[in-house]
Amino acid sequence: SVTEIRSGFAAIRGNIQSRDPIRTLSILSYPHSLHKVKSSDRCCITHHLFNFYVDKVFKHCKTEDSYVNRKISSIANSFLSVKRKLGQCHEQNKCMCGQESAEKFKQVLANYEGLNVTSAAMKSLGELDILLDWMEKSP
Amino acid sequence: SGELHCSLPNPRNVHFESLNMKNVLHWSAPEGIGDGVLYRVKYSVYGVGKWIRKPECRNINRTWCDLSSETSDYEEQYYASVKAFLNGMCSDWMETTRFNPLTDTKIDPPMVSVSSTEKSISIILTAPEKWKRSPEGESISLLQVYPGLQYNVSVLNKKTRKRWFFSISNNTLVVPWLEPGTAYCVSAQIYVTTPLLHSGFSKEYCIATLKDKTA
Repeated sequence: SVTEIRSGFAAIRGNIQSRDPIRTLSILSYPHSLHKVKSSDRCCITHHLFNFYVDKVFKHCKTEDSYVNRKISSIANSFLSVKRKLGQCHEQNKCMCGQESAEKFKQVLANYEGLNVTSAAMKSLGELDILLDWMEKSP
Repeated sequence: SGELHCSLPNPRNVHFESLNMKNVLHWSAPEGIGDGVLYRVKYSVYGVGKWIRKPECRNINRTWCDLSSETSDYEEQYYASVKAFLNGMCSDWMETTRFNPLTDTKIDPPMVSVSSTEKSISIILTAPEKWKRSPEGESISLLQVYPGLQYNVSVLNKKTRKRWFFSISNNTLVVPWLEPGTAYCVSAQIYVTTPLLHSGFSKEYCIATLKDKTA
């Protein structure tokens, strides 16, 4: 669940963010913060972002620290279960994707592909609290 | 000003201390350096390309700098950095870790007000306000910032030393079926489930139930 993701991330946040030396770029909030997204697009963007983390990010986040690696894999597992639930919403057409969410997600991918894959994956992982804060914000 | 020769020891332990989103940068003086050290401070919004100097914290000799105004948008994250100067020498810029006001602030306990009847006490809780630039500024309760905010309430019967705990989402609680003419003490704590945050317990507020008129 999201609470498990939150507590898993809190345990390794300092470690992961210290591996990201690039202050001037953000995967999720550049150039526009997630917080500028219309509430009608929230479900679709959340669905896209969970797929993004599962398909592109976690697999490139290996560290030399076994404790951190264990935390990353438990976060990844929690993502998988939330992703499945979001997939069901998507299939039942309760998660409509508008123009804005397509644009926003395209920007996230562009930011991601603008860096080498390991840096991009580690930066994305370090931004999990940005995703969680936005998801848990009241609409 | 051109960069000087930077061989001065660095400021240490540069970090934010935040209470109700009043975000103050703190640091320790460089090791082994006496008086006369001056500091400069800059900050940046994570994901945005530039560092911004804080004029009010330019050439200061204290080891803190209030960046509440600059970090008041809690939907953003921040870095801050400090540099030391002494006798024409300087240190490196020393940075904080990434600061997220939403998850990294501490929260004050709620304000507690109590009233009583013969057999019950009523408790009203008020969450603290988010830091604001000036007293005239708009008041934002932390309840608005943290939709998942709850209260843990402790009620102690001073005679029997029996204690009850309640966990409530709204800000009022009526505790019924109490003993008339008895003192009860109430203390409360704020508890946010996600992100995981909690305040300390407030001090105790004691009140006596009214005496039983029929006795």
